[in-house]
Amino acid sequence: MKLDIKYFAKLARVKLSPEEEEKFSGDLGKILNHFNELQELDTTEVKPMTGGTELRNVFREDEPREERSGRTGVEQFPKTKDDFLSVPKVFE
Amino acid sequence: MIDFTIKQLHRGLREKQFSAVEVSEAYLKQIEEKDKALEAYLSVDREGALSTAKGVDELLKRGEPIGLLAGIPLAIKDNILIEGQRATAGSKILKDYIAAYDATVIDKLKRENAVLIGKTNLDEFAMGSSTENSGYQITKNPHDLSQVPGGSSGGSAVAVAANMAAGALGSDTGGSIRQPASFCGVVGLKPTYGAVSRHGLIALASSLDQIGSLTKTVEDAAILFRAITGHDFHDSTSVAGIDYNDELLNPNLDDLKKLVIGIPEEYFIEGLDNEVADSINKVQKSLEEAGFKFKKISLPHTKYALSVYYIIMPAEASTNLARYDGLRYGTRGGASNLSNLYEENRGEGFGSETKRRIILGTFVLSAGYYDAYYSKAQKVRTLIKQDFEEAFRSVDVILSPTAPTPAFKIGEKTTNPLEMYLSDVFTLPVNLVGLPGISIPAKGREGKLPIGFQLIGRPFREADILGVGRVYERFEEVSS
Repeated sequence: MKLDIKYFAKLARVKLSPEEEEKFSGDLGKILNHFNELQELDTTEVKPMTGGTELRNVFREDEPREERSGRTGVEQFPKTKDDFLSVPKVFE
Repeated sequence: MIDFTIKQLHRGLREKQFSAVEVSEAYLKQIEEKDKALEAYLSVDREGALSTAKGVDELLKRGEPIGLLAGIPLAIKDNILIEGQRATAGSKILKDYIAAYDATVIDKLKRENAVLIGKTNLDEFAMGSSTENSGYQITKNPHDLSQVPGGSSGGSAVAVAANMAAGALGSDTGGSIRQPASFCGVVGLKPTYGAVSRHGLIALASSLDQIGSLTKTVEDAAILFRAITGHDFHDSTSVAGIDYNDELLNPNLDDLKKLVIGIPEEYFIEGLDNEVADSINKVQKSLEEAGFKFKKISLPHTKYALSVYYIIMPAEASTNLARYDGLRYGTRGGASNLSNLYEENRGEGFGSETKRRIILGTFVLSAGYYDAYYSKAQKVRTLIKQDFEEAFRSVDVILSPTAPTPAFKIGEKTTNPLEMYLSDVFTLPVNLVGLPGISIPAKGREGKLPIGFQLIGRPFREADILGVGRVYERFEEVSS
């Protein structure tokens, strides 16, 4: 099958060059064809495996804990003002 | 001393044959001499290494006991966080990122006074099988510089193979520890999903990722595994209450020989390199002579694992990598609105393979295709898991090749992603099911390039595969 590469690049918020669009379109077409082999299998009665393990649920008490302060995170941010993170306008 | 195992270095330190500073200096010198050509390291922490080593020497001087990893120079894959050090995950988008905290595995190694000598190269965000997808440099195979070291933990494998570290940490999502271990002639252990905390590992595919080790011997793999395993509050998938007792470090080799080893017929397929098939046969013969019983088994859904993996992994990767939006990491650029800012930052910051997988992942998760691809893959993943459960009813350990071929030439597979993906065909089912797997170099080969074999165990039975590996190493040592 052929995939509308521009549409999915837009959904993924990744800008592609025209060369990349062409190359990926071919590559992904081949990969998707390979995936068709899964349709040979009847999986109507099979439960999906949704994670790395299915051993058991993990619970813990929801208690406050002392964790490191947010300072290092702020220092890491590319743009800050005083103790705040500076980001571009979200609404036009 | 740089060709010593962790065990031998530890003994030498304790018996004062050399100091920890001398050990670190020797490895730093080796890095200086060899790494220009090999390009395994992205950064080397000379100062930190020597300061930790000095601390270990002081402990020794005072006659205090030291742990097995104290003063041992270890390399760390650059997708694992060390506080205050750059962590790039091989991506340009993280070129200025300084880790704000230690990964849990790093915290554990620091408590043991291990020397963290440097950060190693990888395929961008651990996506690749050759370390050619790094945003920084192409690491070479020390056995032949024209060949790839495998990937994505290629830098860690080369650091150990070329005596630039005594051991290393890597991460394995579909074979990223075991396949480079096979290509470089070292031991690579991927623990059971949940046996080692992933806190502080830059995420690729969260239901598949696992931190593990690259070492010179199986015994060293056991030492490193014991140091990093354990439940962690910060990783809810890490499992509590696993007690490995003494069997990791002091296995009972006679008891081990009661284990039955399975050979899955589906792994000996057309396209398997002759040299690889021959070495696996030889390994089987050695293990039979050492006393193990073998049994043929079937894992009937093996051929679907590649498709399942290349649906689930990109789906999870596209989600995990959404955080690289150009706001929190990377350059801001002068984009006119938010959407453009995302698109431009991600378009520039990510390499080709990363973009290819993000788009593939976005596709398989999208409304019209979710059922046909993602949901179908999750169901077939269950079938693959059931195959292994059935097999482990009659055998204890499974023997297979690690990779279908020895190392390949740099550039050979970069234009054909499907062919590149095939090099993980024997390792990725293990991640889909969450089992422990180890790659061990096959001994007594004549070819220039190493070949590894893989042992797969039941969940949380690292002791079984490490134990069989120990028996194999001893058997070959005695008979050579």
